[in-house]
Amino acid sequence: MHYLFQAIADGWRQLVSRKIYFAVMLFVPVLGSFFFLNLMSEGLPFKVPTAIVDLDHSQLSRTVGRNLASSELVSIQYTPEDYHAALELMRKGEIFGFFLIPEGFQRDAMSGKETTLSYYNNMSIFVPGTLAFKGFKSVSVTTIGGLSVSTLTYAGLPQDQAMELVSPVDFDIRGPGNPWMNYSIYLSNSFLPALIALMTSCICAFSICEEIKRGTSARWVMRAGGSMFVALLGKLIPQAVIMTAVGVMVQSLLYGFNNFPLHNHAMHMIVAMWLFVVASQWFAVTLCCIVPNLRLSLSLCSLTGILAFSIAGFSFPVEQMYGAIGIFSYILPVRYYFLIYIDQALNGIPLYFSRYYYAALLCFPLVGMLGMARLKKRCLNPVYVP
Amino acid sequence: MSRNRGLKTWLSQMLATWRREFYLVFSDIGVMLFFFGLPTLYPIVYTLIYNPEVVKDQPIAVVDQCRTSKSRELTRMIDATDAIKVDYYAPSLSDARRLMNEHKIYGIFVIPEDYDKQLGRREVPTVTFYSDMSLLLRYRTFVLSLTNVQLALGEKLRGEYMDDLGLVASSAPGINIKQEGIMMGDPTQGFASFVIPGILVLILQQSMILGVSMLAAGASERRRRNGGIDPLTVPAAPGAALLGKVMCYVLLYVPLVIYILHFVPEIFALPHVGNVWHYLMFILPLLTSSAMLGIAVSAFVTERETSLLVVVFTSVIFLFLSGLTWPRYAMNSFWQLVGDFIPAIWGVEGFVRLNGNGASLVDEGHCYMMMWLLTLLYAVPAYILLRYRDRSARLRAGQLL
Repeated sequence: MHYLFQAIADGWRQLVSRKIYFAVMLFVPVLGSFFFLNLMSEGLPFKVPTAIVDLDHSQLSRTVGRNLASSELVSIQYTPEDYHAALELMRKGEIFGFFLIPEGFQRDAMSGKETTLSYYNNMSIFVPGTLAFKGFKSVSVTTIGGLSVSTLTYAGLPQDQAMELVSPVDFDIRGPGNPWMNYSIYLSNSFLPALIALMTSCICAFSICEEIKRGTSARWVMRAGGSMFVALLGKLIPQAVIMTAVGVMVQSLLYGFNNFPLHNHAMHMIVAMWLFVVASQWFAVTLCCIVPNLRLSLSLCSLTGILAFSIAGFSFPVEQMYGAIGIFSYILPVRYYFLIYIDQALNGIPLYFSRYYYAALLCFPLVGMLGMARLKKRCLNPVYVP
Repeated sequence: MSRNRGLKTWLSQMLATWRREFYLVFSDIGVMLFFFGLPTLYPIVYTLIYNPEVVKDQPIAVVDQCRTSKSRELTRMIDATDAIKVDYYAPSLSDARRLMNEHKIYGIFVIPEDYDKQLGRREVPTVTFYSDMSLLLRYRTFVLSLTNVQLALGEKLRGEYMDDLGLVASSAPGINIKQEGIMMGDPTQGFASFVIPGILVLILQQSMILGVSMLAAGASERRRRNGGIDPLTVPAAPGAALLGKVMCYVLLYVPLVIYILHFVPEIFALPHVGNVWHYLMFILPLLTSSAMLGIAVSAFVTERETSLLVVVFTSVIFLFLSGLTWPRYAMNSFWQLVGDFIPAIWGVEGFVRLNGNGASLVDEGHCYMMMWLLTLLYAVPAYILLRYRDRSARLRAGQLL
């Protein structure tokens, strides 16, 4: 017990000995939270810059133009002469999509001939491209529908019959949890924990392997009574306290300050954050056991930490990835934290359904402990490989 | 005459630095890993993650409270879409919710009890779909497919209704107006096709900065060991040293750039319609400005390993500042301004359009010029840093004598 206290005291001393610890453990998460929450505070990038190419110049085409102008999704900023001029604007990045009204549109529409409204969206830039598409589509559907209703009633059909002719079935698509499609809810909730995991594991690997690089690792283990476990706890406990506090601060920013969905008790998420921080630490310990070298273990931690943003399935679903790739998401703590977040905060379903994810987070320390003997051997016999 | 000789020494100093830098890079396994290993492997790994491109056959449950041929027909239409697979025919909404909680399905489609009746009465029935909101890509795919089903079903029913009413299409103007959305740049709306071209450029910048700052940190560790002098630097005027270093790094990156920007999109059949000379020309200022930036930030890096900690975190921030996910026009002016100072932000923006939309170098002239401007901008602190190092080394050498 005496050794444990001494090890913890040493661990604290190490944390205040260098500026890099302060920078990575406090400054980076705080800056990251501010960045994500401030950047996407609007929720959705409304008013996508777009253009309209009106080749018809009729009363009807102007109506379409006015409808487009009143859409909240798109903002008509240019009226190029023809298709090529519009394409040029798109290539220059001035617009993300354009709407094209063909020549003779009013004439053909009124005489019941076939004519086509087309809209071009630059999907190279996904989000504005999609929003432009959505805005254009809804405007063209409602414009066509409105036109049909008014001409049908004009022809003598009752209003309700005309309505059902235009849209015979109504699809009501609901997104419980995030009906606004708020991008910040969607991204901040996954990217900020991934950032915390990245920083936690990097700093953990750094603090352990720094001892090996400087040749002080033997002293470190000896001061912990020769026990690798106690020596590790001495480093991990102070870091876990700080990183959990930082994590809970991030959660309070998300769920408290920003009122992002938290449909179960906050303790479910706080406990998850604590387990997640500990799991990330032991994940780093595992990597240090495999490669007890400062540069390599740090490289591995940042490699996995950065890949975690993609491979943990925050934007592309894991079950749709290639099996040989998707399986790697399950060795990352942040995957389980993300699944817990979906269940407990976003959807607010009973804790029962997330039981395995909590259990999985608990497995990381167990795996880390398997390699401690190897780490100890290296610590007592430090070799610095640049 | 003497001026001429000055220029000659300057040039030979530059070439000496250039050669020494080559030696330093190739004798340092850590730097080689950042310069060559990272840009070679990362694009492959990233593309493999996203290569399935689109989400297909997402399992859902149908709660069919109507149970008629009409409702079954609708279910079949939903099941026939690319994006949706009807895995369960749940007896009630609560059963479907349990399936959702167990993560077996990602959506619930509810057909109301009087769906068939309402259609028969020529009323407008409402069917409801509840989507899982954990990933917006899932939701987006659901919405697109269901909207298409709605339009197709509407068209079919409209034909029947009009026949019943005895109307012909020409008597109902507007009914025959078609609409089509054309996807440009990434016609399949695939995820890899959209995200990888941007990431490629970011990888170039970040690996360059990592490698350069690690080289500088190695030098500073040597200085610490040798009383303030790095025995492996060749004596050179700071300007010559700067140019020699940048030339070395840019040259090293030429084969990598061809591999990353040309072969990676070809290997994975990503959108790749740009003119090869245009985008190779375009990327040159990205390399020079990243090298300058790398030398400038190495002032803060004194240990080989800390550079990783500093640079890794910024990758995430830069990815977002580039506007790949959250478009730049929607950022507030502060973040726009911050982004303006990052070479890769211009690089990503320009390359995405060169690569996906077939834009020319002229179209991306603004991004191109901004990267040259950043090269000049970061050359200033880089020069000052090298000058300071040079001075202090000479000072120490003088003291030692």
